[in-house]
Amino acid sequence: MKRILLLRGAELIVFAFLATIPLLVVNPYALGLLTLLAIYGILLIGLDVTVGYLGQVNLAHVAFLGLGAYAAGLVVTKLGMGMVPALLAAALVGLVLGGLLALPALRLEGPQFALATLSFAALSTTALNELEALTGGAQGLSLSRPPILGHTLTPPLFYWLCMVLLALVWMLMRNLLASQWGRAFEALRDSPIATDAMGVGTYKHKVAAFALGSSLGGLAGGLYAFNFQYLQPQSFTYDLMIILLLGVVLGGRKSLWGAFVGATVIVLLPNLLSNRLLFQIFSGLGFAGALAAGVQGLMKKSTRPFQALAPVVAMGLLVVGGLFVENTEDWRKAIFALMLFSVVVGLPEGIMGFLALFLAKLFRVPHAPLPEPADLDTMLPIRPADGSALLVLADLKRYFGGVKAVDGLSMTVRAGTIHGLIGPNGSGKSTVVNVISGLYTPTAGTMQLRGVTLPIGSLYSVAQAGVARTFQNLQLFGELTALENVLVALKGVYRNPLPMVLLGLARREERTAQAQALALLELIGLREQALVKAKDLTYGAQRFLEIARALARKPDLLILDEPAAGLAHPDVLQQIEFIQRIHQRGITIILIEHHMDVVSELCDTVTVLDGGRIIAEGTPDEVKRHPKVVEAYLGQPPQPELPGGAEPLPA
Amino acid sequence: MNAQIIGQMAVSGALMGLVYALIAYGFQLTFATSKSINFGQGELVMISAFFSLTLTNLGFPYWAMVPGGLLFGALMGLVVERAGVRLALEQKSEGWILLSIIIGLFFFSAAENIWGRDDRPFPTPISADPIHILGVDVTRLELSVAVGVFAIMGLIELFKRRTLLGKAFEAVSADRDAAELMGISSTRTVMLSYGLSGSVAALAGILVSPITTVGPTMASALILKAFSVAVVAGLDSGFGVVLVGMFLGALESLASFYLGSGWREAPGLILLILALALRPNGVFGKATIRKV
Repeated sequence: MKRILLLRGAELIVFAFLATIPLLVVNPYALGLLTLLAIYGILLIGLDVTVGYLGQVNLAHVAFLGLGAYAAGLVVTKLGMGMVPALLAAALVGLVLGGLLALPALRLEGPQFALATLSFAALSTTALNELEALTGGAQGLSLSRPPILGHTLTPPLFYWLCMVLLALVWMLMRNLLASQWGRAFEALRDSPIATDAMGVGTYKHKVAAFALGSSLGGLAGGLYAFNFQYLQPQSFTYDLMIILLLGVVLGGRKSLWGAFVGATVIVLLPNLLSNRLLFQIFSGLGFAGALAAGVQGLMKKSTRPFQALAPVVAMGLLVVGGLFVENTEDWRKAIFALMLFSVVVGLPEGIMGFLALFLAKLFRVPHAPLPEPADLDTMLPIRPADGSALLVLADLKRYFGGVKAVDGLSMTVRAGTIHGLIGPNGSGKSTVVNVISGLYTPTAGTMQLRGVTLPIGSLYSVAQAGVARTFQNLQLFGELTALENVLVALKGVYRNPLPMVLLGLARREERTAQAQALALLELIGLREQALVKAKDLTYGAQRFLEIARALARKPDLLILDEPAAGLAHPDVLQQIEFIQRIHQRGITIILIEHHMDVVSELCDTVTVLDGGRIIAEGTPDEVKRHPKVVEAYLGQPPQPELPGGAEPLPA
Repeated sequence: MNAQIIGQMAVSGALMGLVYALIAYGFQLTFATSKSINFGQGELVMISAFFSLTLTNLGFPYWAMVPGGLLFGALMGLVVERAGVRLALEQKSEGWILLSIIIGLFFFSAAENIWGRDDRPFPTPISADPIHILGVDVTRLELSVAVGVFAIMGLIELFKRRTLLGKAFEAVSADRDAAELMGISSTRTVMLSYGLSGSVAALAGILVSPITTVGPTMASALILKAFSVAVVAGLDSGFGVVLVGMFLGALESLASFYLGSGWREAPGLILLILALALRPNGVFGKATIRKV
């Protein structure tokens, strides 16, 4: 409770303070800055969805600001409509165009995504400039602020409108980002493959995140238009985009407060640059901060030398440059560059990321208490192990060019069994798993789950059909906690539609989900570490967590891809015990493993692959004695007469 | 008559497109070794051109100015690698995108203040008189672009195939970890690729400046098209960039003729978004198999 009170209290105080300012101060300049603060606040919250939560460098946000501004301007000037439809149109333009841009950008990561957004931004500037009949081109577009409900919007009224909208956006986004949606966005950033394999659907969430962020950009654009009442295509260029990125990164990613701090910085920057004394004070403070942090980082050896020194050098350049340069305005881009560089390298979590840690320690803010674990028997009822055919593979083939990785595999996995899949390296085990789980499309053959044809070539559809898997090379969502990793994958709890989530009316199902996730964590012995980030867990715990996350899908078939790989002996024993516990719940398991002892201990049936074909099948003991298996693993037994008269090697 | 105009526009556009191809080739060099590209490459083109202009104004002859400019470009490429790329690569993050943008912004601002905001002519001993070949007019200047582009690309490819250092470069491109295990320092190889990429950018600046003039904003249009070429062809397509570069150059020259010069940029950008949507690995790129 204390945590909620502190957080909500801080929000209330800040917004109440901001709302009363126009009553106390009548300085039009200050009011103008505050109005801009609200507008940039909305803009940056939108940008943070893609840059912070999706973790992609988005260079198109400024284009949505511009397109939104022009949309609002045109609705007022050409259609003669009021402010409310204009603002709605602005947000809608962002939503639709953002969604459209996200569609082709879907498959893209990192640099390609940045390039696609950069091209879109350049294209939209071109369009705004060239569609002169509509936008007035380089001449610009003038508009006036239409009245709302008969009230002329004086500067204080307009300020309040912007603030109300900011508060509204703040509240809705807080609810959304704390929900399953926000977690899905973050999961996407850490591992798109696992997100799909957990049945979350990268497609839907990436488009949704981008469209949502862009619609906020559009909305901010609408307010921008009514604030300045004059629009020019040149206002929405790459330069402004850099400043917006500076705001998000400096303020702190993945944080509403970060966006607010970033907006404050952006609004104050021009003043900072025009006042020499102020500039020197701030650059001096920045230098001192970088120096202190750098020295501390080096002493504790918590940062690399470059990370400690580079910000000091950049800030030092700023201080020295400030003494020699005649007009700081001329150098504003270099100043932005140096500031942004220092922050990206030295303070990657931004101001709020740093402050949040500090404040949490200062006030000893505890995490909200977790519910008691749910009853495992209710959430994951024991299934009958009737031995019927669950998964039937018939003549399955997967070729990579000329390589026949899987070459005509037929296999039946029976319900309630643990079915081992072994074979030497390169025998096609992983390819089989990747084909079943939908990562690869089979070259030929059929796959049936309970007599129903399994979807092919889509991790997401296969996951939806009831197959869950783990990954040989861990694919955890590193920045999420153990609990959140399980929550992302959890099936059958989240039912509330988006509007309910936005309004914060979905809290009860969140508690249910937490209880269920905790039960799964308890099953694999990680309940105590529920709030630890996945990337900070020990390697063994990470392997266990992968299994808990797959179990959250409540699957009919669980595929474990080398769950004991790289584990120390005690952890292997633990892992065996966990798998047995899962087996006891009647869940069918396909186990790929190299450790022969694990296979012997657990499996009911074992299929041995070599060169993409089955060479043996049976109980572990039968398989172990099979001559072909011995040959595949150990090679040909030494022939008595070797060519060249070489001595046979001693056995 | 009309066909002749189209031919003329296509040829001069294609020659211009070779410059995009050259910059795109610079992207390929660094992408091969480190899977990263310099988002501030345009600024590298621009400051190297300004530096070369200063060398010329100081009285250096053309043959001495070109290597000077290339050396400067290589140095700046190394600065980008050290300050913007290395840390992010060590952390396996994509921070290099933002950092290389930031360093580019710094170069831009520095150029604005050192050399001024205005566009300036770039003197060259190569004549701009047209020669009549196969019914179209081509200037020696435009031909010099083609010669320069093919010369440096040929040299670098020879270097990669014939020298030990070049083979190390290829080894890191093929498999970074395996190369490290064979005693090849991948950090040094990435440095080498950024140095080479910087030189390539500098040459692009030197070749294009006499035609377009030198100014702080000269590269912002160039770079978008170079991005398009690199992505449409594929970041590992080798000489594929040459074909795509010439095609795009011709296309935009025709677009600006028929749609108006403001739409010059549009075909490249649309092509880029389409290519990203339909063939993310490029027309000449290799499809990668996702592994888990």
